[in-house]
Amino acid sequence: MAESSVDVLLKGGSGRSARGLLRIIILVTIAAAAVSSRLFSVIRFESIIHEFDPWFNFRATKYLVQNGFYEFWDWFDDRTWHPLGRVTGGTLYPGLMVTSGVIYHVLRFLTIPVDIRNICVLLAPGFSGLTALAMYLLTNEMSSSPSAGLLAAAFMGITPGYISRSVAGSYDNEAIAIFLLVFTFFLWIKAVKIGSIMWGALTALFYGYMVSAWGGYVFITNLIPLHVFVLLCMGRYSSRLYISYTTWYALGTLASMQIPFVGFLPIRNSDHMSALGVFGLLQLVAFAEFVRGFIPGKQFQRLLTASIILTSGLAFVGLVVLTMSGVIAPWSGRFYSLWDTGYAKIHIPIIASVSEHQPTAWPSFFFDLNFLIWLFPAGVYICFRDLKDEHVFVIIYAVLSSYFAGVMVRLMLTLTPIVCVAAALVLSYILDIYLKASPGPVTRGRSNEDPSDGLRSARNPEVGISSYFSKAVTTSALIVYLLMFVAHCTWVTSNAYSSPSVVLASRMPDGSQFIIDDYREAYYWLRQNTPANAKIMSWWDYGYQIGGMADRPTLVDNNTWNNTHIATVGKAMSSREEVSYPILRQHDVDYVLVVFGGLLGYSGDDINKFLWMVRIAEGIWPDEVKERDFFTPKGEYRVDDQATPTMRNSLMYKTSYYNFNKLFPMGQATDRVRGARLPAESPQLSTLEEAFTSENWIIRIYKVKDLDNFGRDHNSAVAFDRGNKRKKATKKKGARVLRSE
Amino acid sequence: MRWCSSLLLFGCLAAVNALSSSGNRLLVVLEDAAEKGLYSTLFGDLEARGYNLIFDSPKNEQLSLFELGDRAYDHVLLLPPKSKGFGPSLSPKNLVDFLNNDGNVLLALSGKSTTPSAVSSLLLEFDIHISPDRSSVAVDHFNYDTLSASEKHDVLVLERPGKLRPDTKEFFGGEGILAVPSASPHTLGDTSLLAPILRAPATAYSYNPKEDSGSVEEVFATGSQLALASAMQARNSARFTLLGSVESLQDKWFSATVKAPGGKEVKTANREFAKQLTAWTFKETGVLKVEKIEHHLAKHGLALEDLNPTIYRVKNETVFTIEISEYAHDRYIPFEIPENDALQLEFTMLSPFHRLNLTPIKTTENSTLFSTQFTVPDQHGIFSFRVNYKRPFLTNIEEKHEVTVRHYAHNEYPRSWKISGGWVWIAGLWSVIAGFLAFVVIWLYSEPASAVDGKRKKTQ
Repeated sequence: MAESSVDVLLKGGSGRSARGLLRIIILVTIAAAAVSSRLFSVIRFESIIHEFDPWFNFRATKYLVQNGFYEFWDWFDDRTWHPLGRVTGGTLYPGLMVTSGVIYHVLRFLTIPVDIRNICVLLAPGFSGLTALAMYLLTNEMSSSPSAGLLAAAFMGITPGYISRSVAGSYDNEAIAIFLLVFTFFLWIKAVKIGSIMWGALTALFYGYMVSAWGGYVFITNLIPLHVFVLLCMGRYSSRLYISYTTWYALGTLASMQIPFVGFLPIRNSDHMSALGVFGLLQLVAFAEFVRGFIPGKQFQRLLTASIILTSGLAFVGLVVLTMSGVIAPWSGRFYSLWDTGYAKIHIPIIASVSEHQPTAWPSFFFDLNFLIWLFPAGVYICFRDLKDEHVFVIIYAVLSSYFAGVMVRLMLTLTPIVCVAAALVLSYILDIYLKASPGPVTRGRSNEDPSDGLRSARNPEVGISSYFSKAVTTSALIVYLLMFVAHCTWVTSNAYSSPSVVLASRMPDGSQFIIDDYREAYYWLRQNTPANAKIMSWWDYGYQIGGMADRPTLVDNNTWNNTHIATVGKAMSSREEVSYPILRQHDVDYVLVVFGGLLGYSGDDINKFLWMVRIAEGIWPDEVKERDFFTPKGEYRVDDQATPTMRNSLMYKTSYYNFNKLFPMGQATDRVRGARLPAESPQLSTLEEAFTSENWIIRIYKVKDLDNFGRDHNSAVAFDRGNKRKKATKKKGARVLRSE
Repeated sequence: MRWCSSLLLFGCLAAVNALSSSGNRLLVVLEDAAEKGLYSTLFGDLEARGYNLIFDSPKNEQLSLFELGDRAYDHVLLLPPKSKGFGPSLSPKNLVDFLNNDGNVLLALSGKSTTPSAVSSLLLEFDIHISPDRSSVAVDHFNYDTLSASEKHDVLVLERPGKLRPDTKEFFGGEGILAVPSASPHTLGDTSLLAPILRAPATAYSYNPKEDSGSVEEVFATGSQLALASAMQARNSARFTLLGSVESLQDKWFSATVKAPGGKEVKTANREFAKQLTAWTFKETGVLKVEKIEHHLAKHGLALEDLNPTIYRVKNETVFTIEISEYAHDRYIPFEIPENDALQLEFTMLSPFHRLNLTPIKTTENSTLFSTQFTVPDQHGIFSFRVNYKRPFLTNIEEKHEVTVRHYAHNEYPRSWKISGGWVWIAGLWSVIAGFLAFVVIWLYSEPASAVDGKRKKTQ
């Protein structure tokens, strides 16, 4: 009975529509699973924007919703990078904000009033559902197996490598960019397969959307030309390829140039030159194909060789000349650091200081991708077996992104889709073989070919992969793997990727949850207690959060566009008060904010980041700030009484440890992050005064004093206030200064 | 209670008779009430000018400069203490707090008694130095009064001071001769907050009469580096005046006759000088007030909402206007910039992009409008209009108004056809489009004739 009803579902004409329905149901379920697995943080904490960059995106979205699109497009932000300001409308990828803004207005139009914050929080999970669908489409283009697409969609929906950037509240460019990436690739494969202008134009359209959403669009800009180039080298030129590529390149480049931040980069920047080069090459090849029809073979060969040498020579010289003359911008530092992992550390400390830009540690591949990572090579192998145009694409994508994922942690994100595709190809291949209940065709074929000569065991249908036993074993092993994968993904998502990092959670000794909410406490203190125009100086990590949560102007933020300005803050933090104070005055700083984890053992604090500040400042002022001075003669980085005088006199050290010893009995002050016993005496501050310290001392805010009313230096003013009377005039060096008026 | 009722009384009086721009409650700290008679002319003059004089002794424990955290007096006149200092209520810290709260202090010292160390350390905070022994007198063997100090040479006879510098206003000048008996001289550090009012002649020196003559080898200071009266104006414009000779304020020297060596007998002008000195210290003169500041785009037909915009665009033509009045004794008058001096506007981001002289454009009954017009620099950012006018004897003007200077919006650039250099490209663009259309048309209508005929037949 049951079998017959299944047969009705799966076979014949009615079976096809039933299968279609089933497929839709499965896909919707996958999308629902993808969305719901990203909601841990909302359930555990609240509907809150996470981390750092999302706070800027959130603020920009609010600006867009309040002021309209044109105001947003021409937005000059005077509340960041004080006093330089930032041409924000022209230096961001507006795709994310515009998407949220459109959703917001559509919902308003449908009379569903939803707070813009909730749209921002839930945008990433929503788009991850779409990513799963796009993944299904992409993988279906690769395989004839019906299950590959569904498996890939399921993998993409829950793999931690993607969840890490798309949990609810992680309102970052990647939230929509990964969907666009996968969907653009799907459209591209479709375009190459069919060779239609429409699909090529759609690819360009979504490529344009991708450009508006994420700087990672360069990956597509280089991957598609590489695909075309490899196909050309394999001798697979076809009019399909010509049509799809030229359509994509022409329209896509025009679309990308509409984004102010990209502007003329596609025709000037070296990162984009491969697309242009392949475009030119494709014209030449097409022309050669055209000429081939008119000229006899031997002469054509000669012509071809000559013209290839000529054009490549010309192109090379042209590229060199244009690069030397500056028409084509040289490769950007971020690009160099992709090839040489040590490059950034030496030349651009600001890039190296970001933890996302560090090389990936190998366990994180297993952590983020679990069993997919070892199915991945097998999937690539399967692509080799059946080497169509689209499989070439998978192979190129796999090779490139594995390299990049090894170089930079954050590029794990671009590796994830192709790993899901490859793993789904393998798994569907295996399942197709092992889940079929009928005896395998292999043995039958053999027996037909060679009925008498084979070994007896080979003739026996009970042995080999066609036996029910081996099928059951393999299938159940795979199911166990799949279940483990699901369990792993859920565990990782819930434990590693669902913390907002604005609110920290820890456990009390009795196991109950203890919420550390110092960041918001301090930011709201700033919001409530300081003038709306009070300038806050902090290290750039907290710039976006201060702008978003405290709504106060900052000196530097996570948009690290001006290295010198960041170095100025670094210098102010790493110098003596006498040096820092004029810098603070010049930049109108009212408050200095530092993050200090010494009481709680919170290791992501400013003292641990301090060496980066020193290095970045040293890059600009090598004579005034020296990294060596912050290390003891033995080469240790210490904060206790062995710390170097430079360290102990630096503003960062003083503001971090000011009055810290008062929490402890005499001489017992201990820094729990660095495990150091601090000096019994608290550092003395003269140009700053403590304004606020949060509950767990994570955030400390200091007010910058005005100049002394009587023209004294701050040290003597503080000494006077403390009651030390001056008996004698302080002897100044040099000849006595006479007044001359 | 006493000061309360007197405050009420004089508050009513003040409405008609106030002279100082910052209140009329004047505390006179006098150790010995009997000495009050010595200064009766001075006190009479002050009362006549509308001050409410409150006399108190530093020994009074109830005395406090503050009442519920607020200033209890507007001005303090300190006469030299006899004992070791002014006591706990007038400690250096309290006096500094008083100045920080915009109170004004006139401190008079005397060369006859040793200056207490507390006073000396207070002066050190302001970078005013008195001789280390704290009991020196200014002596001059060429400009002394032959009538009263023919032996000691410690009554200096001086011209009244002129302008401090060619570019400053004169507040202490005038005709007449000053007699400065037994002055405790001081020197000034090199800070811009300090300005000497009355300097000793070039031939004067500091001498300690209590010591033997052996100490002359190391003279504290000589000549015009010695000041006999000096002014310190804090950054909040609170005024502190140090007068080296309290005796010169006494009735006796207001009406005395002096004779310099080889000169004629003349009446002193001490009373005039004392008036100038107290008037300046208690903010009757040299007080500047910014009435209003306006900046806007340079265009006609400004509406009210166009005034003081928070945002400008690069290369905007901008007008800045500041209205300043000066308080002179009993009313505000239009402020006039001294000769050789200029009131300047800075348009600053980190460093000034413009530093422009503000020119007077209009004078009203009691103020002058200074204005300038300039082009906003081609640099976006958060700029500020700054007027930083700090001159000796004038209260500080430090105005800072932040404005944002934005970049060109996308629709503020000239359109492509307005740039003649772009015509080539526009022509190229349209010629390609026209060529393509022409090609399509030709292609469509150049089908083989037979096919065209066939179609025609069909349609017909």
